[in-house]
Amino acid sequence: MADQTNPLLDDRDLDFLLYDVLHAERLVELPDFADHERETFDLLLKTTRRFAREVLYPAYKPMDESPPVLANGRVTVHPMMHAIYPKLAELGLINASRPASVGGMSLPLTISTAAMAYLMAANLSAAGYAFLTTGAAHLIEAFGDEDLKATYMRPMYDGTWTGTMALTEPQAGSSLTDVKTAATPTDRGHFLIRGSKTFISGGDHDLTENIVNLVLARIDGAPPGIKGVSLFVVPRRRPTREGLVDNDVSTAGVIHKIGWRGLPSVILSFGEASDCHGYLLGEPHKGIGYMFQMMNEARILVGVSAAATASAAYHESVAYARVRPQGRSMKQRDPAAPQIPIIEHADVRRMLLRQKAIVEGALCLSLATSRYADLAFHGATPAARSHAALLLDLLTPVAKSFPAEKGFEANALSVQIHGGYGYSSEYLPEAWMRDQKLNTIHEGTTGIQSMDLLGRKAVAGGGAAIRALLEEITEAATRARTADVPVSWIDAVTGAGAAVAAITAELGAFALGGDVEKMMLHSVDYLELFSVLVIGWQWLQQAAAAREGLARQDGLGDFYEGKLCAAQYWIFTEIPRIPALAELCRSGEDSYGRMKPAWF
Amino acid sequence: MKILVPLKRVADPDNANKVKIPAAGDKIETTGLEWKPNPFDEYALEAALRLTENGQTPKVRAGEVVVVTFGPKETEQTLRAALATGADRAIRIDTTDDKLDGDLVARALAALIEKEKPDVVVMGKQAVDGDSNQVGQILAELLDWPMATFAATIKEEAGALVVSREVDGGVATMRVKLPAIVTVDLRIVAPTSVYSTKTAATFKYNDGVRFAALPAIMAAKKKLLVEIKLADLAADQALKVEYKAFQAPPARKAGIKVKDVTELVTRLKNEAKVL
Ligand SMILES: Cc1cc2nc3c(=O)[nH]c(=O)nc-3n(C[C@H](O)[C@H](O)[C@H](O)COP(=O)(O)OP(=O)(O)OC[C@H]3O[C@@H](n4cnc5c(N)ncnc54)[C@H](O)[C@@H]3O)c2cc1C
Repeated sequence: MADQTNPLLDDRDLDFLLYDVLHAERLVELPDFADHERETFDLLLKTTRRFAREVLYPAYKPMDESPPVLANGRVTVHPMMHAIYPKLAELGLINASRPASVGGMSLPLTISTAAMAYLMAANLSAAGYAFLTTGAAHLIEAFGDEDLKATYMRPMYDGTWTGTMALTEPQAGSSLTDVKTAATPTDRGHFLIRGSKTFISGGDHDLTENIVNLVLARIDGAPPGIKGVSLFVVPRRRPTREGLVDNDVSTAGVIHKIGWRGLPSVILSFGEASDCHGYLLGEPHKGIGYMFQMMNEARILVGVSAAATASAAYHESVAYARVRPQGRSMKQRDPAAPQIPIIEHADVRRMLLRQKAIVEGALCLSLATSRYADLAFHGATPAARSHAALLLDLLTPVAKSFPAEKGFEANALSVQIHGGYGYSSEYLPEAWMRDQKLNTIHEGTTGIQSMDLLGRKAVAGGGAAIRALLEEITEAATRARTADVPVSWIDAVTGAGAAVAAITAELGAFALGGDVEKMMLHSVDYLELFSVLVIGWQWLQQAAAAREGLARQDGLGDFYEGKLCAAQYWIFTEIPRIPALAELCRSGEDSYGRMKPAWF
Repeated sequence: MKILVPLKRVADPDNANKVKIPAAGDKIETTGLEWKPNPFDEYALEAALRLTENGQTPKVRAGEVVVVTFGPKETEQTLRAALATGADRAIRIDTTDDKLDGDLVARALAALIEKEKPDVVVMGKQAVDGDSNQVGQILAELLDWPMATFAATIKEEAGALVVSREVDGGVATMRVKLPAIVTVDLRIVAPTSVYSTKTAATFKYNDGVRFAALPAIMAAKKKLLVEIKLADLAADQALKVEYKAFQAPPARKAGIKVKDVTELVTRLKNEAKVL
């Protein structure tokens, strides 16, 4: 049973994060966003909220229950998705953050991320058709020639066609350097593509007349390794003078998934009849590099989808905890006294507050990272842009993996709060938990994110990235002090910042001393401690904004008190774990390092 | 066809920050309230848009919808939202919320209608805050125009509208000559409720009110929105309705469990007094 009144995301909270914490309204001072004002942001958010709640959410459970089917070589999706898709395309979110020159509206990513969060919280699969298309079209926009843009990017941005990212092959998942799909040059400009891709989301469906795949492949004779992989535009059907004709892309199978069940993920086969045309995007052998340039945005979006999925479940469990009577208070000895709602039990509030701290911490980070992306591309000065770019790169692995990992824990807590009912598929929390799991896997697993953070981002520029982070934390601390946030809270976060900088330097020193393996052995623990700090920083900012709100006496006292409790929770139950995690990294505790495959 | 649609913002009933009554009990506390358009007004706007387009995709506008609201500067957000949904032009009549009643609103609208000369005024049957259900009726009287209230369907014919209204025990259908006042009910936004002469009889709208596409929100910023002083429309701003006191409804009592049917019957008789 779905609680139809589930808000999915708390509107007040989104406003608080966007405006009170991050001052998103100031983005319109930048020339590239000058067409906007807070009023248009608000209208945009209102529209997407309503769309999410009224159009997408009612279809969520039906779509989860009847996944797409493959018959006669083609995939058919849920009928409700057929009703949704034209409206989703018409909504205009697919290219909202792109400039007017390509038909978009130059909406700051900060705002489009918030809008997308609503769609994702309401129906992850339905939102997927849109954001996959945005990602694929954006690659064509960035690296394609005018021809490719006119032919493919345009109809993708307006939703006429959808897009996919077709990277993964059976032997090339985390390790994309191992892709084998082949591209043979012809003298007519196009390449002939041959190979197979797996897990391709949106790779087949019957919603639009065409699907445009962005395919990683090797041009015949390309050097081995990462420098030999190119990126191609490979449509399901190719435009000709006679209209769209079949481009020899076929669906070899559909994956039976435990989540995201409204969005087909398929095995695609290219060139079985040697007639699959691919069009090179940008220059040969630079495909992986191109992908990496788009990686930040894609990874932020995975984080947003994780935060959104945890948020929907959080709100469901708050509502449930208010109405489910069970047991009596510890002080009540009279068995005839009525039972109390479970929210009255401190341990249930522990589970709720943990979810709140994770969800709202993750959302804040998603929006903050999106804001750095906006500033990295549109900041007022070169210095402002490079500062933001440094932070964007540093925070992206956290913005991707924290909401996914801790969001899964939050989703499990939502199941837990529902007790036995949570374990039943009559209720929604189990479905959100299944959806959530994907987020630790796709777009780079958590292990891969941890290596990206420790091996690359945290040590970038000889510590410049970490210094930039410490500056931001110092700024937040100043704001918190002015707002009268308790000094012990502020000290806990700034102290943790110093501790993280120190352990980063120590681990870097292992590598300088030639022991990269020791540096990286506890990369996931490092990711964890780093994430605890980053989320602590988000909560310190929220605490400051909440104190400012309380001082305004604007009638939202309960809202701000809730924020302060969640901030306190994170700062006093999570931040103290940092030294122990740092010690693990430092000591090089080697149980699994030493463990041999044969010993399992 | 030119249609005027009056819009009112109301306190969002779903908002956690619920309506509060100060201790004096003489008014509603409006600071900190979140606003949304009166739902019946949104239905009216949807009906007006359907009457002024051809029902095809992409839709072609064939007529003009002018939206009007009463209130301070911030109520322009309600108008902008309506412009983004498809209205062509907007008017804000500058005043504050507590200086209005149904009578004054109707008189000011009547004066505005003299200037604007719409073919029809489509409006919500009532606002969900005061639930007064009066403005449309007073307005028709002041203008001496025909009126159809609680419309569930509207079909345009040459020079007239055929309106069906849901009444106890059935549907009453009437034909009103233009210009006219139509107040609408919830069912007006069903897929086959509204047909202009340009819309094919087989066409089905999406159920409910339409969403503003995001690009339309940007485009709406360029649409015309003018401000008129209330005094320019109504010299006499005296209110006929005086609010004496506001009181929150009594809190609902917790339910009880009864032992058996006898107790149930006794309680229904003596306490609930429904038997
Ligand atoms: C529902 C779904 C949708 C997807 N959609 C798409 C899509 O649209 N397009 C697309 O291209 N792909 C898609 N994928 C594929 C996805 O990106 C891959 O599954 C992911 O990259 C992991 O690759 P893999 O499955 O081969 O796992 P593997 O790479 O085999 O990883 C297995 C485990 O080994 C670990 N591991 C791997 N390499 C290392 C290493 N070097 N060091 C330490 N640990 C390592 C991983 O962390 C992981 O825990 C999708 C997958 C799913 C399940």
